[in-house]
Parts: sequence; structure tokens; C-alpha cells
Amino acid sequence: MKNIKGEAFEIRREDDCSTVLFKGALRLSGTEDYAPILEMLKETLVPATEPVVLDLRELEFLNSSGITMFSRFVIEARGCVGLNLHVLASQAVPWHVRSLRNLQRLMPSLTVSLS
Amino acid sequence: MMNSETLGKYDKRSSDCEYLMLVFSPISVPLRARWRNNGLSADFLGDYVITFLPAPSRESGVEAQHKLISHAVTYIANELLENAMKYHERNADIPIGIHLELTSNHITVSVSNGVGVGQATRYKAFAEHLLEGDARALLLQQQEDSAKSDDAAASGLGLLTMISDYDAQLGWRFDAHPVQSELMTVTTKAVVSLQQLEAGAAA
Repeated sequence: MKNIKGEAFEIRREDDCSTVLFKGALRLSGTEDYAPILEMLKETLVPATEPVVLDLRELEFLNSSGITMFSRFVIEARGCVGLNLHVLASQAVPWHVRSLRNLQRLMPSLTVSLS
Repeated sequence: MMNSETLGKYDKRSSDCEYLMLVFSPISVPLRARWRNNGLSADFLGDYVITFLPAPSRESGVEAQHKLISHAVTYIANELLENAMKYHERNADIPIGIHLELTSNHITVSVSNGVGVGQATRYKAFAEHLLEGDARALLLQQQEDSAKSDDAAASGLGLLTMISDYDAQLGWRFDAHPVQSELMTVTTKAVVSLQQLEAGAAA
């Protein structure tokens, strides 16, 4: 298992699994601070046999630098032929309802489940 | 530049409204060391704004609406503070301040900081660019551009998401420093309609 932890957040990826789990509030200061997380996400793009899943259901807050980080990942992902990208989100988390559509505009095949 | 100039939606503060103001002394502590202050202050404002609103009745849905309003204030306050802290002119004897106010159907969050005249001119040009363009199209373009450049801090994505995702109306004010002609105080103001925020729940 690989994980990245901060004062208010945790990100986890199990070995041999293309699901990345996000928890807490992400408000890092910019590209440099988000780089390790973006790298971890990009690792899921290597053997594109199963859908890549971003589980954001417990990610309560994301600043605009975090939105930029996800945008960069999505742009990278849409360049991978045959890759399916799926986002698990929650109706109860306001930013999911407001801002996830920005990622879908970048990659129309991206699917979002709002539970 | 003139002594004072405004751009976009910049109404005067109403005299009969509830407000809260936080002011941070201009200190030379490194940005990284006080970064978490942005989140702490934004969370506080997001919680505090609820005290301005009518108490939740037993009617269902009121708490959910409060959560939407609280989140919008937290997001906007956090982005405005992050920008102010990033671009604040370190050597200026100008405090960074954040002001939250509620009128009958709008919430306004405004943040002030000190900048050099050069930075003020660049920011003004960016503000004009935002006012002229379509926020959604600009946002998409910025997201595409972010993949090509590392200069995400200067991308203005925070302001664009406020307009595009929170239906905020933005305004700016640039004030010349009374003594030091190379400095200005810039205030960025975001106004959101309570009705529109609540409608966001249904979307």
C-alpha cells in the first residue's frame, strides 16, 4: 500500500489496485506541493486494464490548486487509449456537485457516480 | 494611476448589515509557515456565516442549505486569502484583511492586501480579462493550459471557479498608498446570492 498523509488529509492506494482513495481537506499551496500526489495518481495509468477509480467521497474540501492537480491528471488520462476513468463522489459534499463537471468537460468519457 | 479605482461589481458596504472582519498584521514569517492560517480562517468564516442566518427550524432541508452556504463562504474566503498571502508585498506596512458581510440576500467576502504598482497593473489587466470573457470558457482554457505550464499559481483558477461554480460576481478596488507611491492596496470582492447558492442544491 502507498499513502500520502498531511495534517488534514490522507490519500491511499492499495497495491495492484487502480483505486485511489482521498479523505479530508486538501489545501496545499501549489503545483510543487501537489506533485507527489499527481505522481501517485499517474502510477495508476501504467497498465490500463481495469478502470481507474478516484474515490473522492470523503474528500470534503479541495482548493483551486487541487482542482488544477486533478485537471492535469485527467488531461494525462484522456491521452491513454482505452482507459476508463471513474469518480466516486457524494451528493452531500458541496464541491463535488459544483466543480466535478469541470473535469468532465476536459474528458467527456469520465464517469461520475454521485451517491 | 489615480488615487482609487474600481472594476467590476464593487458596491459600497451597506450601512445596515452584519459583518465580521479579521486583520492579519504584516509580518515577515515565511509563506509556508503561515499557509495553514488560510484554511483556519476560511473554515472559521464558513462556520460563522451560519450565525448570520435564521436558526434552522425543524423544516427539513434548512441544514443542508446552511451547509451549501457555509461551504461556498469557506471556498471563496480560502481562495481569496491564498491569493492575498501569495501576492502580498512583504515589505509593505499594509495589513491583510478579510471582511464578511450579509445583507438581506447576498453574502460578500472581500480581502485586501498590499502590492507593488507593477503587480497591481498586472492584476488589473487580469481582472479586465475576466470581466470581458466567459468564465466557463476561460476556466476550461486555464485547465488545459495548466497541463503545459507549471505556473499554476498565476493562473487565476481560483477566481474563475468562484464565478463559474459559485455564481460569484467579482469586483476590485485599487487604492494608492498615502505615502509610498510604489505601493497600492488591492481589495478583491466576491458577492454571492443566497438564493443562487440554495438553488445549487437542486442542480
